Amino acid sequence: MSRVREIVPPLLLAVIVLSVPLFLKNPYWLNVLILVLVWTALGSAWNIVGGYAGQLSLGHSAFFGLGAYTLAITATHLGWNPWLGIALGMVLAVPLSLFIGSITFRLRGPYFVLGTLAIAEVLRLVALAWRSVTNGAVGIMVPFLFQGVSRAPYYWFIAVVAIVAVGITWWIERHKVGYYLTAIREDQETAESIGINTTGYKNLALVISAVLAAATGAFYASYLSYIEPDIVLSEPVSLQMAIVAIIGGRGTVFGPAVGATLLVFASELFRAQFKQAHLLIYGLLLMAAILFLPGGVLGTLQQRLKARRAARAALTGSTFGVRKEAS
Amino acid sequence: MELLAQLPQNLVSGLLLGGMYALIGAGLALVYGVMDIVNMAHGAFLMVGMYTTYLLVTHLGIDPYVGILITAPVLFLMGMLIQRLVIHRVATASHMNQILLTVGLSMVLVNTAQLLFTADYRQVRTSYAETVIRIGGVAMNLAYIISFAVAVAITVALYWYLMKSEFGRALRATAQDLHAAQLMGIDVQRVQMTAFGLGMALAGAAGALLTPVYYLYPTVGENFGLKAFTMVVLGGMGSVVGAALGGVTLALAESMGQIFVGHELKDAIGFIVFVLVLLLRPQGLFGRARA
Amino acid sequence: MKRGPVRVLSLLLAALLLAGCGGAATQSPGSSAPSNSSGPGDSSDTAAPSDSASQADTSEPIEIGVITSLTGSEAKFGEAHMRGYEIALEEINAAGGVLGRPLKLVVEDDASKPENAISAAEKLATQTKVPLIIGSYTSAATLPAAQTATKYQVPFIVPTAAADNITEFGSKYVFRINSPSSEYANTAINFLMDQVKPQTLAIIYENTNFGTSTAQPAKELAEKAGIQVVAFEGYAKGAPDFKPMLSQVKSKNPDAVLFVSYLLDATLLMRQIRELDFNPKVYIGAGAGFSTPEFVREEGAGKDAEYTFSATLWTTDVTWKGAREFTEQFIERYGVEPAYHSAETHAALYLVKDVLERAGSLDRQAVRDALAATDLDPDATIFGPVKFDEKGQNAHPMLVTQVQNGQYVTVWPREYAAADPILPTPTWSERK
Repeated sequence: MSRVREIVPPLLLAVIVLSVPLFLKNPYWLNVLILVLVWTALGSAWNIVGGYAGQLSLGHSAFFGLGAYTLAITATHLGWNPWLGIALGMVLAVPLSLFIGSITFRLRGPYFVLGTLAIAEVLRLVALAWRSVTNGAVGIMVPFLFQGVSRAPYYWFIAVVAIVAVGITWWIERHKVGYYLTAIREDQETAESIGINTTGYKNLALVISAVLAAATGAFYASYLSYIEPDIVLSEPVSLQMAIVAIIGGRGTVFGPAVGATLLVFASELFRAQFKQAHLLIYGLLLMAAILFLPGGVLGTLQQRLKARRAARAALTGSTFGVRKEAS
Repeated sequence: MELLAQLPQNLVSGLLLGGMYALIGAGLALVYGVMDIVNMAHGAFLMVGMYTTYLLVTHLGIDPYVGILITAPVLFLMGMLIQRLVIHRVATASHMNQILLTVGLSMVLVNTAQLLFTADYRQVRTSYAETVIRIGGVAMNLAYIISFAVAVAITVALYWYLMKSEFGRALRATAQDLHAAQLMGIDVQRVQMTAFGLGMALAGAAGALLTPVYYLYPTVGENFGLKAFTMVVLGGMGSVVGAALGGVTLALAESMGQIFVGHELKDAIGFIVFVLVLLLRPQGLFGRARA
Repeated sequence: MKRGPVRVLSLLLAALLLAGCGGAATQSPGSSAPSNSSGPGDSSDTAAPSDSASQADTSEPIEIGVITSLTGSEAKFGEAHMRGYEIALEEINAAGGVLGRPLKLVVEDDASKPENAISAAEKLATQTKVPLIIGSYTSAATLPAAQTATKYQVPFIVPTAAADNITEFGSKYVFRINSPSSEYANTAINFLMDQVKPQTLAIIYENTNFGTSTAQPAKELAEKAGIQVVAFEGYAKGAPDFKPMLSQVKSKNPDAVLFVSYLLDATLLMRQIRELDFNPKVYIGAGAGFSTPEFVREEGAGKDAEYTFSATLWTTDVTWKGAREFTEQFIERYGVEPAYHSAETHAALYLVKDVLERAGSLDRQAVRDALAATDLDPDATIFGPVKFDEKGQNAHPMLVTQVQNGQYVTVWPREYAAADPILPTPTWSERK
């Protein structure tokens, strides 16, 4: 029964998010919010693999780019309906992620990180060189998903993706999958030894993550209406996905949303106010966040809440111990 | 056959560039070996070394090679400071956080350079870079040769230092087993600070060597930074000499591989090698015991 | 356990949204209900206070929208853009402005990123009453901005971006002053056929948008003209060592080499070509690096640049009226020579003046029609004649320069030439 009660606030939030374009018409702010939703979706996608399963992938741009290019190529070279292109991108994300997983999941710790980075870079270079298919650096113009001037349909599309991404995370956290992933994150050897199919679950997490990232990539391609390898397959994209989730709070359901909101608004604010220095400040903020808020904004908040609850429990003589929070 | 005719030139070009790569790889391996940190700011350190050299040349008229005597110590001190103030704090944090911290550090360094020097490209001209040495059908730039020689010298000196000196032994001990080293009375804190400082100094030295034959701009380190990881992996994570050899190997692979895949994809060669080595021979091509 | 953060988040979001709405109201001066209007009130409406959103008030300056890269990786070019605008703005306003009113620029920074260019275009289209927008620098940013402007039916002038598809996506609102990439290729090949008649050609290009979209048509044109393309090498820009690639090209013995490179690679390429003692009859660049002021100086290739040709849009010694005065003024104010980017934006503002005066109003549709009917003769701007074809592309006359005695000298076509081309190129050993 408490499960049902728990779902009310997030559902309410989803409704609020979806209703925004009904009363906010200013295209500039709609664009900003669209960006927030894009990074919420991407951060949440990354979070499933990086936050819950604890696999720090810095190569997720591969999936983002796959979605973008699938839409672009099918729409321009094959004349497909863009919706089909988006769907195909999501479908193709499955074999790609399984392939990448088969290579990288054999690696541990920093080797894994670097492996994902390297593979993503190779994909970018291939996209640059394979001109007959991708037009190389010249890029591809992507047809509009929605006609007309209003940004609202775009907003709704990405809002749905973001809500789905967060929703899936929410679901994962409360079910067996989530527990297994956490176990893998905390101590993979032990998880193996008690019979958890670590490889299987890691791959599952990566597949889900990849499909979400690909959907977002396809959206982004249509939103920007033009893509090239350096826009959708570059390392900064992978980095930002991770940063958004980590600063917001990895391993939490709403962490990526918080992170995306903070970072997009900070970026806009800094760009306007500080001009040249905004990237510098961004870097400083990142460092500060790692140093002082290692669990991210939400993670740290949750820790504090837990500590307070534990203190209260101790005062009332409760026999429940406090579970150690993973950093 | 046409391809064969080009072999010597490609070989030599690869080898000479490999000297500088070697320094970059060695610096990264040192940091990883001793501190277990994947330093994503290594490319930025290279960039700092290049700009330091640039300033020395333009403001004080010091030759870039001679300038290493100043550049290296300056970066060494910077590295120690960074370690003490920033890196040290995440010594016990998760790998993720450590890596991301170095990412933030890289952003800070690169964008500070951008603010100070603008995104304009800068070049340092030396007479060495204008001189060509031709042997057989192979053309070599004198500056490249000097850079190569200096890089080798520094690597050898580093090896000697790590093997023979007391502190070098302490470094190696810490790299092998942090707790055991602590138990043996080694000031692990100081060792880590020094290792990081050395890593930065090595990157800086490589930057100094690169300056006469290349050009500088704030993001110059990105490409080299990524490649450094390949070198470290080739050499077996943590092996300094291994990474140096890995650097030479990578440069050769790029140079020779170009014949088949073209210049565009030469960088991809490195990454593919990287992944293959990680999968098939994770101890690296040269790694056995740690150097 | 989850409720706490969720509540926090909802509150945060709600707060941000409220701030956003509130911010939006204060952002756009005077216009409380931003809508996608297609144009301001007509100019006969004088100062109706409630309609302060329109630019009909004749004492107020006319605002022109500008998008460029003031920050980010292309900041240097954004600066060049702004310098051209500044000089033109001063001149035009000193001479009485446009339609009796001074001109004013509303400048938006795209921070060298396409997504910002989109929101910049949207902002200018919906939150201001600018009759047109000029921008940006890179093709990656200009293309989406142009599409956005088209969506809102705002005329869009392109001063610099070279990608062919900017004038190919069927917009009636996009007008480009500069030549597209394919024109660089065209000019280079035409020059070669006219002056050199090479049997074989090697094309070396960087694998970027500009590089690829120029090299590809160059190859096709060369082959059509009967030239054998013996090497077609794309390279990754920013590499320190091109010798392996260059020695391969050298072994094919091309009569001519065509480069599509930016400054740094151009510098390294020429240097390493000298080291390899590679001596084709002709080196020709398709603009970019081979046309920048730094290329011939010590910071660039210096002596190694001598005798290289380049297809270019504009040089400081070009014969179009006002170019020399512009150059002198530019050097006096900024201490460096102007590159073509500044000439383009300077000309763009003069184009705007002409267009607005012909349209007689600030109505976007009228402005668009006036743009389409533009027919400025060569001396009307420092960038030469302006006349747009049905796709909105100006047939800008391209030039070929050669570096002679450390200076760029226009050598082709003959009606614009200041000197004869020096051919064939002396070998490296002959040059000492």
